[in-house]
Amino acid sequence: MARDKRARKTASRPGKIQAAGRKPASKATQPAARSARVRTRPTASLTVDPALFDPLTEGERADALRVLTEDRRLASMAKVARYRVVAIEPLVLKPPNELFGRRVARVVAYDYAADRCVDALVDLDNGVVAALQIDDKQPMLGRDEEALAVAVALADERVKRELGLSDEPLAALHYWSRRDVERASSQRSAAVLFGQAGARPTLVAVVDLADSQVTEVVPAEQW
Amino acid sequence: MSNSIEHADWKIHWKVTESSGLIIYLASYKNRRVMWEGSLPYVTVDHQRQVLSIDEESEVHGPFWAPLGVRNLVGAIRRSDFRGGFELAADFCVGQGGPFRYTQLWRFHKDGRMAPWLVIHGPGLHDSHTYHPHWRFDFDIDGAADDALEHFEGGRWTRVAEEGWLPYTGESADNATVWRQIDFGTGAEVAIRPHHWEDAELFAIKYHDREWPPYSPRSGSAGQTFPAGYTGDESIDGEDVCLWYVAHVHHDAAFPFTAGPWIRCAF
Repeated sequence: MARDKRARKTASRPGKIQAAGRKPASKATQPAARSARVRTRPTASLTVDPALFDPLTEGERADALRVLTEDRRLASMAKVARYRVVAIEPLVLKPPNELFGRRVARVVAYDYAADRCVDALVDLDNGVVAALQIDDKQPMLGRDEEALAVAVALADERVKRELGLSDEPLAALHYWSRRDVERASSQRSAAVLFGQAGARPTLVAVVDLADSQVTEVVPAEQW
Repeated sequence: MSNSIEHADWKIHWKVTESSGLIIYLASYKNRRVMWEGSLPYVTVDHQRQVLSIDEESEVHGPFWAPLGVRNLVGAIRRSDFRGGFELAADFCVGQGGPFRYTQLWRFHKDGRMAPWLVIHGPGLHDSHTYHPHWRFDFDIDGAADDALEHFEGGRWTRVAEEGWLPYTGESADNATVWRQIDFGTGAEVAIRPHHWEDAELFAIKYHDREWPPYSPRSGSAGQTFPAGYTGDESIDGEDVCLWYVAHVHHDAAFPFTAGPWIRCAF
């Protein structure tokens, strides 16, 4: 349902600059609720165990990933093994969802073999994948992907030529280009910043993570 | 330090996540539920050209970002009590040496105010860049359902019928609030007052089980970014509503800058 809903949306980009592409909320003809007589029916607050929100233990995280990779729907992803786990965190759902009150892990991974995001809910109480979305979303970079981006950038000859003696990798960030002609608009990419710790970066290398190659090297002041 | 705090008429729980900074959940004020969960899922950064000629685009490159989470947390979460309330603070440094440094704050006042703020320290790659912190508020005022959202425009409060985008145009009610979420059942409300200088906007979305908080602002290789990617044409009047507050902070000489709204609970 969520995917269908998103399909109606038009392309835009973040930032106020693109505001024209956004759908302004439509306003009701009803009067403001505060000024109208409000109903006196009390609305019950939900009672929920706060422990459900607690961070997952190492064992719970391992359990969630194991359950996910053993799910038949993801057999090819697990077999080819070109996926990277982005995050495994608890999720607490509200009623009437049937998972309300259960310990649930949300597992987000990126499968490079299919260029797809895998977003799953694992019911840890019952050891099953309770919900699964596979789509073209671009989740944040996992730690492994950040490390890969740095390694690819450090091995690139153009980057080596541009770096100063004391320049080192400072950060790897999830990046996408707004220009369709650039690979970073369609390929999962990272921007690796180089420079000296405590000072502004001096160089930016864009790394295509799918093909493990540097696609752009830009002096930081020209970024 | 316990992850449950009961002080100044508030009861809140907190945790640090991998992706959304310091999250507050199951927050109650005077024993009444205010918020299911509040988080800061991402801060994107756009850079503009420092010198612009008439034929050039101002932004050559797209945005980049890294999650505020465990991997970028510096030091421990700090709790401090102040006159009339308490606060939690967390420092994040994206990258070694800190081209992007932030302090996330959650402040709770005995008079019902709540301040989810982000202190942006910079310095970024160069001076011409803009920060876009995105807060996600799942207010459950006296329970999840039966809520209405109102936007102050044209000199009065107007009910919002459908999901969509509600920018701050400079117009506000006398108390400087621009949006408010009201529970029909009890009349309790949460009012949001934007920072005057951060060019804020609000996205109102009907809560959906299948729309879990995104792990990225990027919904697809060519798709609408989040949270705009979530907004459709569903009715939100009388529903469980989820709000995204987005600030736009241009880097200038006045950094550090504290972004984020004031939120006031009124019962």
